[in-house]
Order: sequence, then structure tokens, then C-alpha cells
Amino acid sequence: MPYNIAMVSDNFFPQPGGVESHMYQLSSKLIDRGHKVIIITHAYAGRTGVRYLTNGLKVYHVPFWVVYRETTFPTVFSFFPIFRNIIIREQIEIVHGHASLSNLCHEAILHARTMGLRAVMTDHSLFGFADAASILTNKLLKFTLSDVDHVICVSHTGKENTVLRASLDPLMVSVIPNAVVAENFRPLSYHSHNARRHSAPGPPQPLGPHDTITIVVISRLFYNKGIDLLIAAIPRILASHPNVRFIIAGTGPKAIDLEQMIERNVLQDRVSLLGPVRHEEVRDVMVQGHIYLHPSLTEAFGTVIVEAASCGLYVVCTRVGGIPEVLPNHMTEFAAPEEDDLVAATGRAIAKLREGKVRTELFHNQVKQMYSWTDVAQRTEIVYDEISGAFSYDEHGQDAGVGAARSTTRSRAGVQSFALIDRLKRYYGCGIWAGKLFCLCVIVDYLLYVVLEIFAPRSRIDIARNWPKKDCRNGKEKDADAVKAGATVGRKRSSRHRREKRAEPDES
Amino acid sequence: MATIITILQRLASPPKQTLRTLQPTPSTVSYTVSTRPVPKTLPAILGFYIGIPVRILIGIGTLEQLVKVADMSQWRYLAPGALLVLYLVFHRGYTEESLTVLRGLGLQTSTASSLYLRTPTTRFIPTTSIQDIFIHEAFRGFEVRFYLAIVVKSEEEVVVVFPRLLPRRDILEEVWRGARACLYEGMAVKKREKEKEGVES
Repeated sequence: MPYNIAMVSDNFFPQPGGVESHMYQLSSKLIDRGHKVIIITHAYAGRTGVRYLTNGLKVYHVPFWVVYRETTFPTVFSFFPIFRNIIIREQIEIVHGHASLSNLCHEAILHARTMGLRAVMTDHSLFGFADAASILTNKLLKFTLSDVDHVICVSHTGKENTVLRASLDPLMVSVIPNAVVAENFRPLSYHSHNARRHSAPGPPQPLGPHDTITIVVISRLFYNKGIDLLIAAIPRILASHPNVRFIIAGTGPKAIDLEQMIERNVLQDRVSLLGPVRHEEVRDVMVQGHIYLHPSLTEAFGTVIVEAASCGLYVVCTRVGGIPEVLPNHMTEFAAPEEDDLVAATGRAIAKLREGKVRTELFHNQVKQMYSWTDVAQRTEIVYDEISGAFSYDEHGQDAGVGAARSTTRSRAGVQSFALIDRLKRYYGCGIWAGKLFCLCVIVDYLLYVVLEIFAPRSRIDIARNWPKKDCRNGKEKDADAVKAGATVGRKRSSRHRREKRAEPDES
Repeated sequence: MATIITILQRLASPPKQTLRTLQPTPSTVSYTVSTRPVPKTLPAILGFYIGIPVRILIGIGTLEQLVKVADMSQWRYLAPGALLVLYLVFHRGYTEESLTVLRGLGLQTSTASSLYLRTPTTRFIPTTSIQDIFIHEAFRGFEVRFYLAIVVKSEEEVVVVFPRLLPRRDILEEVWRGARACLYEGMAVKKREKEKEGVES
């Protein structure tokens, strides 16, 4: 059955980034699959209120900080009244939080559980265990994740990390990788009309020993992206390989060190710094090169190396975090995160390219088959099915009125583990002091919920109209569905849509 | 316990809003949203009609007293009290906002003031400068509310209809349909047919 899903995170457009595009792509694919998805984020400069994006994706830019300043509530609870209002008016059943550093996401999951909704969280990053900031973040994560239905990580390494950080049962953590929009990352020589001609890719064209090989690095220039490693490795690589040049795009605190290195070694004509590059322009930079170098020290997934491979670049990367899971071996050359090995690996990659052993022109189609957002959406849908499978209220589901919604919430709170005492037990196990503190937070949250039920009753909140759905499941997608999820599911859902669509004008 | 909760709920709930539609000619519609309770039972109706002369009498009486006490020594205490009574006499106990649509001319929004003495705040927008009329949502306090807005040509901000009451969605949708039907005559026939279908089914 189609679900009403709310994606919650602090990070969303107009701010650029990986989590942002992940949320957007996942949401739009879920909408294509017949679900209703809204996004709740905080207000950005010049972007407050309710907005619609392409495909009827509704975004609530909550003017959160204003409320925070005007009230004496601690931040943990000040979001609850608005959150509850949005959840009720959109008839949300599943709350899906993103990014473990997002404050809004943690709060939303806590409130969602208080309201008796299913909560899922996607963790996009890896963290250490030792430094003070990590310990604090981990404690917060543990708090939120002690009472969540399911956790999604972007790689198996990320899963391991999250399970350890939040002391979770590994069974409730799934791995769903990121994806790329392969159409946006086409190699230079790629034409859409010969995309179907798989059979005859032509003979390999090795690069001559005197052709210039361009190595591309696109990264924010931070310590954790391994820029120090890059700074140490570039002069050595250039010294041992005469016909090689570098293109480095991105900005950050390490940009100065990088410039100093170039000036010290007089490499201005062989290393070009492009500065910050917009996400739409990444492809144009990538296709100028032959090798993509990714020296990162920690990485949960590394979408950028998938994008590079999709552009037909051979990838040299460090064997850290989730990176080894991302691409098959014939597309990558791995190095240990140290200077010598990185230089050696780059040397191997250059040699392979010169010998013509790597068929980079085939990478695009291979990546396209491996990573697609439709696939990610399908797998996320399975998670949703799993966590809400125990319910028997599907028949009188979301179209029922306000009263029914309330009664289901109540009855679910009784039989499921939404009971306050069960939740308290889970939070209490978090630590000697933390456990008690968390319990206190949960109790206050629950009392706040009761007060809101009295002073802002559900009957006074208007239900928002849904975006008119259209049957946008074209032939290609339907085929994919039939293979993956079984034809019956898809068919059932689409017939339900049509019924809903017909019912809608009657309401007015 | 339950009774306390119901009492609390009743105290916290805003007054009930009603929509009155007045269509004197086919080309003119007036939508009025009001929080005035409509008397239904006999005692309520009697109370309403007796209340009006009582208010007038009290008002006149206080005015007379005010004139009389002007030269007395206790005017310091009596005058503020009298002014308070006068304020209560002239105070309108409800909010009323309306939208009047005149086909081919334009539409006028109006908000009644809280005192009987002042005229309502009105704004007339000619058809030629109306670009669109729509319902959207916005954050207000701790909730998200629907509002009906008019886009006026060469103005930065939209004009919100019923800005003080912000009625609920069903009322707004009815007004929106009616206003559109009245403003855009070509579409009016189709709309009305659709509405009829909606009512029948």
C-alpha cells in the first residue's frame, strides 16, 4: 500500500550537498512509485513556508529559529507543536530522518515515536569514537536510535560503524547505497542513440606513451578528504611521470597548502586549480580527465567516485570506509591511505591506461546498471513494508477521517511497543546518567503531546489536499518493477491510484 | 477528569466561524465569514433582541451620568468607569470579514472593526489588476494555516482575504470557487457544472 512519508533533515536545497540530493532523488522516485512524500527542513534565507518542487514534492521550510528565539522552550521540544501540526495535516505514517548531524532529524524521530508513528533513519556519515565531539554525537545518536524502527546506512562499513556507535541490533540496520543519475554523468564520447548497441564496443584504443594523461580531483579541500596526502603525492607523481597533469576542483581550508605546494615545486603549468565548482559542472570537469584520484581518509560511501566512473574515468582511491564496496575491482586501483602507496597506485593506474588494459568507455553503462535511484526507492519501500507490516489497519487506511486516524493511533499505542513504559525501558538502558536524562526528556515530550492534544485538538487541524497523482509509471519502469518486486504489487497499487483519483472530485 | 479536559478544550478553542453567502444579482456575490453566534433557540433570540435596546439604554444612561458628574468631586473615579462601560457598549463581540465579487468590476475585501463606531477597513481591487486568486499554506505561530490570496499587478505582496480570521479550508475552497467563477466568466459555466456534480454525488 502507498505510504505517507515525511523526510526530515536540516540539510536540504538550496544548500548543495550529498544528503540533499539523496533526499530529493529518493523522494521523487518514491512519489513515482505512488507514495506521498513531504520534506520538512528548516528555513533558509529567502525560503520560508511551504513550497512545491517538481513532481509535487512538498517542502516545509519551518521558520524554526524564529520560534526558538521567541519561546523559552529548550530546542528539543520547541519543534514539537509545528511538527505535530504538519504530521496531522499531511496524514503522515512514516517519518524518515536523514543525516546523523541534523538536529531536526533527531527531534523529529523522538516526536514521531511519541505520536505513535513509525520512524526510520538514514545515516550518511562515519564517525570516530575517540574525540570529544564524536562522543557527544554518538550519545545523541544513541538517544535517538534507542527508539527507532529501522536504520538505513549507505554502506556496510557505515552499518558496522552505526551499530557500534549506537549499540543497535544489527538486524534492524539495512544497507541501501546511494545512487547517481547516470544521465547527468555521461562520458564525452557518449551519444544517447548508440546506448542500446551493447554488442560491439570496438577495439580498445590505448593511449600512446607521449599522450598526456589528466588526473582529476574534485573534493572539498578538508583534512578528512585526504588533501594532505594529495599535497605530498602530487610532486612525486609528476616527477616520475612526465606526461601527466592534474586538475583540482573544490575549495576549503587546505586550498592554501595546495597553492603553496604548487609554488614551491613550480608546477603551475601541470596542476590547475579550478576553485569551487557547482554540482552541475562537475561532469564537465570530470570528462576532461582520464583518472580520478580520491585520497579521502574517511568516507561512508563516496558518491563522487561513482560519478567519476560513470563519466568514464579510471578511479584511484584509498581503501577506507565504505569505498571498497562501491565499485567493482576492474574500475578502481586501491591504495592504502599513505603517501607511498598512493603514488604507487597512481603509477599502476597510469601504466594500465597506457597499455590499454582498462576499458573506461564501458564504465558508463556498467555504472548505470549498478546504481539507479529507482532501485534505491524500491529497497527503501521494502524497509517501509517491513516496519509497518504488523499493522492490520490497512483496509481503513489513510483515507479515513480525523477521528479514525486518532483511534488508530490510540489503539496502536496500546498494542504495539509505542507504550510509554516500553519506550522508557529502551531509553533507560542508554547509560547510568544519560538513561535517566533521556527518560526525563521522553516523559516531558509525552506530556507536551497530551497538552497539545487538549489545546490544539486534531479536529481543528485541516487536512491538506494531496498533489493530484498521475499514472506516471511508463513502460520502462513497469518492466523494472515486474522483474524486481513482482508484478502483482505494482498492479494493485496502480489500480488503487485510479480509484483514489476518481474519488477525489467527489469530496469537493 | 474527562469533564475537566472537555472544559479546557472548550475554553481553548476559538469561536466557531460561519460563512454567509449573499447573491443579490447573478453577477454579484458576497461571502461573509463571521464569528457571531447565530441565535437559534427562543431564549437566545429573545436575549439577542432585548440586548440591543438594553445596550442603547445603558449607553445613553452612562453618557448622561458622564455629563452630570463632570462638575462633581468624584469624577476622577467615575469617569474611567463610565468610559469602560461605553467601550463595552460599543464593543463588537465578534469578528466579521467579507469578500464581495462584482463580475466585470472587481472585488472588495472588508474587515469589520472591533468597535461599532468605526467603519470597516475595505480594499477594492479592479478586475484589470487581478492576476490570480489562489489558496496556499503558511506558517503562523505554531501551526500551518491555509489562506486565500489575491495577486495584484505591480504589487510586491499578495492581498490576503480574511486576514484576521483565516477560515478553514472548506470555507476557503467555497469562496475560491465562487470568486473564480465570478471573475472568469468563460470558466464559470464549466465550474458550476462540476460543482453541481460534486453536490449530487
